[in-house]
Amino acid sequence: MRHAARSPRTSRLDGLSQNLVILTWGTLASSHRVSAEMSNAKERKHAKKMRNQPTNVTLSSGFVADRGVKHRNGGGKPFQAQKEPHSGTSRQRQTRTAHHALAESDANEQSSSRVTFKKKGGWKAGPEGTSQEIPKYITASTFAQARAAEISAMLKAVTQKSSNSLVFQTLPRHMRRRAMSHNVKRLPRRLREIAQKEAEKAVHQKKEHSKNKCHKARRCHINRMLEFNRRQRKNIWLETHIWHAKRFHMVKMWGYCLGERPTVKSHRACYRAMTSRCLLQDLSYYCCLELKGKEEEILRALSPMCSGDTGLTFAAVHYLSGKCQGSLLLYRANKYPRETLGPVTFIWKSERTPGDTSESRQLWIWLHPTLKQDILEEIKAVCQCVEPTGSAVCIPDPLLTPSQEKSQTELPEEKIGRKRKRKDDRENAKPVKKIVGDGTRDPLQPYSWISPATGIIISDLTMEMNRFRLIGPLSHSILTEALKAASVHTEGEDAEKTPHRWWAEACKNPDSVSLHHRQEAVFELLGGVTSPAEVAAGTVLGLTVGDPRINLPQKRSKTLPNPEKCQDNEKVTQLLLEGVPVECSHSFLWNQDICKSVTENKISDQIYRGARVGGLKEAVMHSQYKRSPNVPGDFPDCPAGILFAEEQAKNLLEKYKRRPPAKRPNYVKLGTLAPFCCPWEQLTRDWESRVQAREESSAASSPGGGEMGPTGDVVPGALMPGRTRQLSGEAGTSLNDAEVMDTDCPARAGPEWATSRGATSSLFCVLRSRKLLRQLSAWCGDRRVARLGPGRGQQELSREVCLSVLDCFPRALVWVRLSLLRKGSPEPHTMICIPAKEDLLQLSCDRLYRGPQESKHCDPFKSKIRKQKEKEKTEKRQNRGSATSESLADGDPAAGPHALTLGLWSGPLPAVTSHCSRVLLGFVTRGDFSMAVGCGEALGFVSLTGLLDMLSSQPGGQRGLVLLRPPASLQYRFARVTVEV
Amino acid sequence: MNEQELGLGRCGSFRVHNMAENREPRGAVETELDPVEYTLRKRLPHRLPRRPNDIYVNMKTDFKAQLTRCQKLLDGGARGQNACTEIYIHGLGLAINRAINIALQLQAGSFGSLQVAANTSTVELVDELEPETDTREPLTRIRNNSAIHIRVFRVTPK
Repeated sequence: MRHAARSPRTSRLDGLSQNLVILTWGTLASSHRVSAEMSNAKERKHAKKMRNQPTNVTLSSGFVADRGVKHRNGGGKPFQAQKEPHSGTSRQRQTRTAHHALAESDANEQSSSRVTFKKKGGWKAGPEGTSQEIPKYITASTFAQARAAEISAMLKAVTQKSSNSLVFQTLPRHMRRRAMSHNVKRLPRRLREIAQKEAEKAVHQKKEHSKNKCHKARRCHINRMLEFNRRQRKNIWLETHIWHAKRFHMVKMWGYCLGERPTVKSHRACYRAMTSRCLLQDLSYYCCLELKGKEEEILRALSPMCSGDTGLTFAAVHYLSGKCQGSLLLYRANKYPRETLGPVTFIWKSERTPGDTSESRQLWIWLHPTLKQDILEEIKAVCQCVEPTGSAVCIPDPLLTPSQEKSQTELPEEKIGRKRKRKDDRENAKPVKKIVGDGTRDPLQPYSWISPATGIIISDLTMEMNRFRLIGPLSHSILTEALKAASVHTEGEDAEKTPHRWWAEACKNPDSVSLHHRQEAVFELLGGVTSPAEVAAGTVLGLTVGDPRINLPQKRSKTLPNPEKCQDNEKVTQLLLEGVPVECSHSFLWNQDICKSVTENKISDQIYRGARVGGLKEAVMHSQYKRSPNVPGDFPDCPAGILFAEEQAKNLLEKYKRRPPAKRPNYVKLGTLAPFCCPWEQLTRDWESRVQAREESSAASSPGGGEMGPTGDVVPGALMPGRTRQLSGEAGTSLNDAEVMDTDCPARAGPEWATSRGATSSLFCVLRSRKLLRQLSAWCGDRRVARLGPGRGQQELSREVCLSVLDCFPRALVWVRLSLLRKGSPEPHTMICIPAKEDLLQLSCDRLYRGPQESKHCDPFKSKIRKQKEKEKTEKRQNRGSATSESLADGDPAAGPHALTLGLWSGPLPAVTSHCSRVLLGFVTRGDFSMAVGCGEALGFVSLTGLLDMLSSQPGGQRGLVLLRPPASLQYRFARVTVEV
Repeated sequence: MNEQELGLGRCGSFRVHNMAENREPRGAVETELDPVEYTLRKRLPHRLPRRPNDIYVNMKTDFKAQLTRCQKLLDGGARGQNACTEIYIHGLGLAINRAINIALQLQAGSFGSLQVAANTSTVELVDELEPETDTREPLTRIRNNSAIHIRVFRVTPK
């Protein structure tokens, strides 16, 4: 029952009053008789009133309240546990049959004192006139005895602590002392005894350590490693896990334990590090796939998976040379523009390798772990790689080398420096690390496949390389400070025994030594480049470095760029212009399988030099400032994105349901149909049907509808809004109908819904053709592109062009950026709407105009829920009437199959675009106050059809203005749309 | 307020920074290259580490905010501690006008206690041409832009 859980604060009070109301008992027996005759309704009213009264007071009012008491006291309160002979009088009041002899004998005497207590307890349902007569005599001994018993019970109740807190916690603040829980003597003397008991209890409750191992044994390296391996069986740790776990909130995601955000308050600090210093991220959870084979074969196999429309592909010249890191979007073979698989970055191994003349090339593809399964399967399919090769390709090398390979990438416009490192995780490394692969892969499964037809070998190098990302202008200085190029081995040293054998061997070759020196020189130059943005994006630099632990600084310091280094102008200019020479991107380690992880020192090394470390949250923030979509949340058309959205919706719904209905927004009233997920499919479909309907109506009304296209964007702009409004009005009325007769609404919409969903599953796509995007961004009012427009073959926004675009992409979404004009910070799932004519008018009159307000919607589900609840109640009452215990047992029947949640739209959604007063265009996927811009900024998707429609109907000066409305608000706010190419 | 008011010829010992914070003006010359095959991407100007009294003027930040920032540097704290005796205001390209404007505003508001000395320079900027098709190599070009460096300093009253 709902009364069962009561706060501990009131329970103490209960304990007191319980012992006091014993006095009234004598009358209870009689009063009960009368109250049994009370009418049913009165009784119920009374029960309701007594709900919040101390338990023992409610007792007196007949059987209904009495039942309630029983339930209430079933909660196991501390005071119930104590059983003393004296308080038997109070205890046994529940079972009316077993009265205590003492109480019975006292009955008459107590009736005199009853009156006062009646008032105290607020109990007024006492039957009048039943026990008004004054007792004729009082036996002193029994009377005193009874009082004595009461007093002792009262004292007991006072001394007994009923709350859950420890003794020292109950002390007033000024009496508290440091380490009170540890040292009993710091407590006031009167409490020491109790505290002593509590402390002993706490000791017993402490978890027993495993007895077979002492502390020393547990700390022993091998045992610790075993323990660590056991703990990461399900979710793999990165190498920096222990470092991170001490400083971060860890989350288990994608089969890894990842640091989500620092435990310290650091949102702003991380932002500052990003913009003016250096932010470090461990991206080692990214998966790496290696493709080995002939260049033509690999290119031919992969070409159906990518499209030149979306940008450069694997075959771009500068990528092929191995100079640069490329990035692109993969699709299922020959399915462009549908069935996206996800974004990847890739590096070709540099062509010219000293001493390597074979035709075979290597391609490394880096991807997010959520995308891995799909992409790996698809790549295997296109390469016809079916035969697992087992461990044939990777012969384990037992040597552990404390030096590392590092290849570095700078992406200037994103201010990213990257550093990769190889490490060994072969299975033979006995206690050191036995994890192979990641959580997404079964360790028993092969991780390498070969194709008999094309000779391509695919291997899964997940978790074999580490990857760090350094963001910020100081990343170069930090890198150059932290890493020193390895010193070249001289002949005198015996290279055979040391683990550096491969390096010593490389040093024997004069070519490679000179190459190493050149790499070193380039690396030194980088120290003089104060911002990574000055180097070409995606530059790769191979470098062999010495153990960074050797030159770990004694004290944590801040790296500052060295002005002297910056003077080396000619060389730097050369570097900036030409990028890193091709041969420098070769690394000596790429054909070695040896290395040991020193990552942990690595990271602390860079911390010592003043870098700040960020987690997943910072990664999201970074990509938001970059205005690039984040994996996997911002890819609604790829399987990982869909999965992510579902999970997010589930979590948000759970969170929403945890709050009481009065303390959470009623989304139905706010007119928010989908507060937790973005119904992209329905959005695109709605827009398609909207435009089709309009086409038909316009064709019917004016036969010359087709001819008004060439007149430019003014004519459709003048004609469309009226129709739009009319249409939305119609839709609105039909919607109202649906709301009124909501019972048959789902039934009506149901079959159509199901069929359309089945037929068009994932039919929507995201527009990623660069040409179209550029055109759109010009139309959206980006003046820079627009000015260049006519000369560059850009078309004017006209009806025909729109139609031709829509023919190619009937149901497409466009990735847009929205920056708010004035106030407001958008949040995820914020609705993007088209402003009505009058909104724009008002804005042009009043520059401070905040935006229109949505009128409150009515909630058709509320009455339904209420009805349902009432029905349950009556049922319950009937049950209660028949059998009391049963109604208790079957619990809450509200959790039925179709549980309606107050404040959420249940059943299939009605037309999403026309549900509110402003027509819905799309949704925000990420939005926040942007510290980079200084106002609210959001990223999201809008329907292409809707966007074109809106743009063609808006006048030139106000083109690209939209309204944003968060799911829990009625206020629309103006924002400007920019299409990101 | 234009450049003639500013004593351009009067420059003291001045360390020339060939850099600026702001983005270079838009609409750079786009000669003879086919826009279908290349996209222009402008890299950030090369920058030197900055001293606390260097101010880079840009066109994004509010003019007034930049002016107060300079004023604060010159005034120092509540009792005039940490006040700089001189500050350098740098402007590149489109922001030259604004840099001059700020310097002159500072001077006008100081009742004669501030003097300005300007220096001009040319900054080399790198333009990157990213290929749109797989067969092209990325190109880089150097473009020159003018910059101004204004030294605003306190003169001791005689």
